[in-house]
Amino acid sequence: MIDNPYLPVKTEVIDIIDESPTIKTFCLRPERPMGFKAGQFIEMTVPGVGEAPFTPSSSPYEKSRLEVTIMKAGRITGMIHGLKKGDAVGLRGPFGNEYPLSEFEGKDVLLVGGGVGLAPLRALFLALAHDIDRYKSVLFCCGSRTPSDIIYKDCMLDKWQCLDKKKIKFRITVDRKDDSWKGNVGLVTTTLDKLDLDLKNSVAIVCGPPIMMKFATFKLMDVGYRQDQVYLSMEKNMSCGMGKCGHCRLGNFYACKDGPVFRYDRISHIHEIWD
Amino acid sequence: MDLYFINRPNLDRLAMSLAKTYRVYVPVKSGEERFYKKMGEEGLEGAVLGEIRAVEPLKSFYFPARSKVAGYFSEKNSDRTERPIAIIGAKACDLASFKVMDYVYSQEPFKDPFYVSRREEGLIISSDCTTHGQTCFCLAIGIMPYPTDNFDINISEIESGYVAEAGSNKGEKIIREYFKLFQSAAPYSEKRESNRRQLKDRLSRHVEKSNIPPSDAVQGLFRKKFESKLWEETAKTCVECGACNFICPACHCFVLKDQNGEEGFERLRQWDSCLLMSFARVAGGANPRKLLAQRLRNRFDKKFNFFPDNIARFGCTGCGRCVEACPGKIDIREVLSKLALE
Repeated sequence: MIDNPYLPVKTEVIDIIDESPTIKTFCLRPERPMGFKAGQFIEMTVPGVGEAPFTPSSSPYEKSRLEVTIMKAGRITGMIHGLKKGDAVGLRGPFGNEYPLSEFEGKDVLLVGGGVGLAPLRALFLALAHDIDRYKSVLFCCGSRTPSDIIYKDCMLDKWQCLDKKKIKFRITVDRKDDSWKGNVGLVTTTLDKLDLDLKNSVAIVCGPPIMMKFATFKLMDVGYRQDQVYLSMEKNMSCGMGKCGHCRLGNFYACKDGPVFRYDRISHIHEIWD
Repeated sequence: MDLYFINRPNLDRLAMSLAKTYRVYVPVKSGEERFYKKMGEEGLEGAVLGEIRAVEPLKSFYFPARSKVAGYFSEKNSDRTERPIAIIGAKACDLASFKVMDYVYSQEPFKDPFYVSRREEGLIISSDCTTHGQTCFCLAIGIMPYPTDNFDINISEIESGYVAEAGSNKGEKIIREYFKLFQSAAPYSEKRESNRRQLKDRLSRHVEKSNIPPSDAVQGLFRKKFESKLWEETAKTCVECGACNFICPACHCFVLKDQNGEEGFERLRQWDSCLLMSFARVAGGANPRKLLAQRLRNRFDKKFNFFPDNIARFGCTGCGRCVEACPGKIDIREVLSKLALE
């Protein structure tokens, strides 16, 4: 009999990191290693309750464990936030396509992320940084609502800043500042002004809440990117992960099978993509 | 393909022999309608092998309304093995739905083991329609009222018996194995063709009344009408019951439900309806199809735009079940005809 693709792999929660008041990162160790490529997603099961899709945020080069960064947003994510170290969950996957890294080689790579949408971009960033020689540069633009909503703080504001100062740069902004914040204030779209990049030889990868994805993509068009230079991670209701259950249909594609990474020119004609 | 003739008593013998290997289901009449029933000692007595499709879509046998697809984190796992299913009397509109179902459930890289094994192990003895229903419109979708593929054996009712045709190696093997039950079809094969022609003519006149646009124009018209008022108007009487989805032989969507069962955690797969508010909703509440009109349009989008692009076929077989099932009297033929109006 064919392997049962509905069956989750038993997985231990080995660590939990509080990222923001509503976001936690869960470090997971599946009973059998579950390799993934940056951009692909997994289905995480709360035993006896149900499952939900998440894109791992850890380096795809780490084989024995993976991390998922999860915002408390509904029933399943609420239960996940109640998990403790040592608890058992289930994982299925990985599903969907990955970021096409070979198409990014030799280029200025621009990452644009907002809120919990930084999760897939973190995995992508770690994959890019792992082989930084292959890319001309990486600029990571990231927006959060307030300073306390910034996730991966120790990476974003500290560790990653010292990786390769010539090739890897950051633009970090918050919508609303507080007394502690000395950095940029404004929506993530403001970080896309005055880009010091060779736009003809650049790609942009966008991930975040739908409204942010919409305006960041429009802004990229305004500053001179073509549609075929922009990659979007589409968040839809990916339930089975295999193009069968029908929930994540996006025009004539399934986000779970044909995506979740889509080049913008391939989906820009579809109605309701930003909803 | 070679044709044979089998009389009714011999077909009954064949069915009883097959029942040793298979769970055999046949359509029987209840009121004006036909429903599948598991064949028992009575054999084919009461079975209606002509007429039109049964009320239940054929998918029910290969993709049940609700079934356990996984038990997890428990040593105990009693996967019962059941005898494979044989259907006698499936109709062309239902066989056509396999084009959709096979695409969804048998495609790489994630084959659905439950569907695939039922398809591979199962047996289908289909039969010609001998009449048409009020809601039948298969011809408008490009499907004949008699099976042309996706069967192991097809039988066409003629006088006191049936003209049989093998449609697969499995079907041929069965005919060879029970060869003594069959006779030469020579006296009957011309009759089969004329019966088919006559029914097609009658159905053609019936379908013409609906003014459904030609099948090669439907997708283009649908795309043009995407922003039309048609969807809001049509949605006025929709009560979001999902009956059209559940009764449709080509609707394949499902939802996974986990529960704590007797033998540990269980994952159930259950038919879902794209007309329900929660269908496309994601965590946090964002929903690309908040309005009922959007969801109704989505049903047509899937059938008449998505499937033509992906498998060069409609996700509709013209069986007309949804027309009968809809409490809001939404008639898919009328919606299709309105696509062509300005």
